[in-house]
Amino acid sequence: MRAIPLKSFTSLAVVGLLVTGCGQGLLGGGDGGDTAAKADDPIVLGMLIPQSGSEAAIGPYMSNAAQLALDEINAKGGVLGRKLELKTADDACDAQSAAAGANKLVTEGVDISVGGYCSGATLPTLPIFGKANIPMIIPAANSQELVDQKLKHVFLINGTGSQQAGAADKWIAKQGAKSVVLMHDNTSYSKDIALRTKSLLDAPGGAESVLVETVTPKESDYSANVTNVLAKKPDFVYWTGYFQEGGLIARQLRQAGYKGSIMVGDGSVSPKLIEIAGAEAAEGVYATMTQTPDTLEGAEGWISAYKKKYDTEPGPYSNQAYDAVRLAAEAVTKAGGTDGAKVIAALEGMDGFSMFSGPLKFTPEHTLSSGGFQVLVVKGDKFALQDSLK
Amino acid sequence: MTQLVWNGLFVGSFYALVALGYSMVYGIIKLLNFAHGDLYMLGAFIGFAVLGAVGGVSSSMALPLLLAVLLATMVFTGLAGVALERIAYRPLRRAPRLSLLITAVGASFALEYGMRAAAGADPRVYPVRLGGTSMEVLGARLTLQQLVLIGVAVVLMIGLNLLITRTREGRAMRAIALDPRTSSLMGIDVNAVISRTFFLGSALAGAAGVMAGAYYGKIDFLMGFLIGLKAFTAAVIGGIGNIPGTMLGGLLLGLLESFGTFWLGGEWRDVFTFGVLILFLTVRPTGLLGERVTERV
Repeated sequence: MRAIPLKSFTSLAVVGLLVTGCGQGLLGGGDGGDTAAKADDPIVLGMLIPQSGSEAAIGPYMSNAAQLALDEINAKGGVLGRKLELKTADDACDAQSAAAGANKLVTEGVDISVGGYCSGATLPTLPIFGKANIPMIIPAANSQELVDQKLKHVFLINGTGSQQAGAADKWIAKQGAKSVVLMHDNTSYSKDIALRTKSLLDAPGGAESVLVETVTPKESDYSANVTNVLAKKPDFVYWTGYFQEGGLIARQLRQAGYKGSIMVGDGSVSPKLIEIAGAEAAEGVYATMTQTPDTLEGAEGWISAYKKKYDTEPGPYSNQAYDAVRLAAEAVTKAGGTDGAKVIAALEGMDGFSMFSGPLKFTPEHTLSSGGFQVLVVKGDKFALQDSLK
Repeated sequence: MTQLVWNGLFVGSFYALVALGYSMVYGIIKLLNFAHGDLYMLGAFIGFAVLGAVGGVSSSMALPLLLAVLLATMVFTGLAGVALERIAYRPLRRAPRLSLLITAVGASFALEYGMRAAAGADPRVYPVRLGGTSMEVLGARLTLQQLVLIGVAVVLMIGLNLLITRTREGRAMRAIALDPRTSSLMGIDVNAVISRTFFLGSALAGAAGVMAGAYYGKIDFLMGFLIGLKAFTAAVIGGIGNIPGTMLGGLLLGLLESFGTFWLGGEWRDVFTFGVLILFLTVRPTGLLGERVTERV
């Protein structure tokens, strides 16, 4: 390789400094945007969702539903006489893209963040929104790590990993399973649930966790993992990752002759899981999941409104994204403006705001006071309610 | 234990098919075609589209139908490979090696996100699936369909090897790999031979894509990325530019992954694989069967 002259390095460094300097200058401008807001400016909601990368399929489910809520609110005259506006950015389910996306949203002057799907991508955005005094209502990401930092501006409206692990433990005990294998994909979200479930199972009595198997996401062939799992002769397998791998794993477990129960976490609850696994392998697969439109009474109207607007069924986390926008609107109404501290106070004071997962009240750590995890089961081509675990 | 060997050979035959294209292209124009894994993805999607166009066939006909679709897809993917070479690589043939490499990475992204724009980000599921009930052979569970897929892979690889060692065309390829300028002075149409090399390599990757789609079911626009890296690793293990070595490398990599997962646990699978890649690049960059000292980028 030819040596690059030192001079070009120096000029590169100077350009780099200039660019980052500009970036921060713009960010600084975003902070003060709120005070300058005029009465007829729209209230801007920012949403970080995966639009590219492996989880790109989820993004539209969430942004469509958010837009639906927004349009409904705007049709009724908006909030405090101001219209709502949605700005989305791509987090690609990846920490770097998420941080860049969050900075972009801050620069664009969002008032409240209503996004966050992958926990690993949402984590680095917390300080970025926090610094800009922007409250976050996180609709989907639910790793315990998000609330462990006890940040005042972070609110989760999905049950947390520990609540999900609790539900899984309850159902495994109810099924009388003896030996359980936990499988995760090493992402923040998936590992959290698997390890929390393991520590619950490891309490004396009941089921025993015989193996925690880690898979590499984005592969097609999991036969090596399946061979490891079957060597332990488990009667219950719990996969806590996303549906793309979940479908393949369920199929390959069944093909290898596994007869016991299979359960998946909420990231795997999608009709695509059944398609990928094939109807035969998917039948009877359990799932831990928060309330979904499918399992809720009286959601038919909402589903048909969504279908009418987008010509497709709502998908995973459509309802949470819809709720996040409604909740943001409610909080701004209560706070009488978009000032971060006032909106946070309004969110903390919420009591009985009606959402798909039931009446809302936040715990001191800003998670749902009632986790609302339930167990679904695959029947035919969809997930149906098996047990509400109440 | 036999199960581990079987798992490894099955995955390895996919790696070998994809790795061949890498190896051939590297052998002939010294380009690491990072878009090669995406031709595998393209093959899977073209196969999906062709199956959709044929439509409504009973599942008893699945195997012969799939073989027909496989051939059709190989032609399409092969042509896509030729187009890729023409558009992205040929104009840069005299440029520094690094520009070619960067273009390959760009071509890879263009294929991935082009497919995402065309087919959407949602994973697709093949309408015809090769599942099958498993049988016990020597203590390993395997299905007839798996045997057929391995059989197809072996036939394709033997065919390629015969083509390269026994035909005029193959001799031309080998001559260009040794010395492109002298070959052209001897009256070989270098551009045409390079095009045909791309056609063959891409067709094999396309075949692997259809086979993976039909066997595993799920296809998505990013499916080529990881297998591209794995195929590169397989080619390096066996000896990049060396055809029998590449096949051996593919099978060995499959076995390594299978046993590595068993010994170290699933989270170590890729660490193990790419660790072996680094080991080979530092200790024996010519791979197991490579003789000639390859020039590295």
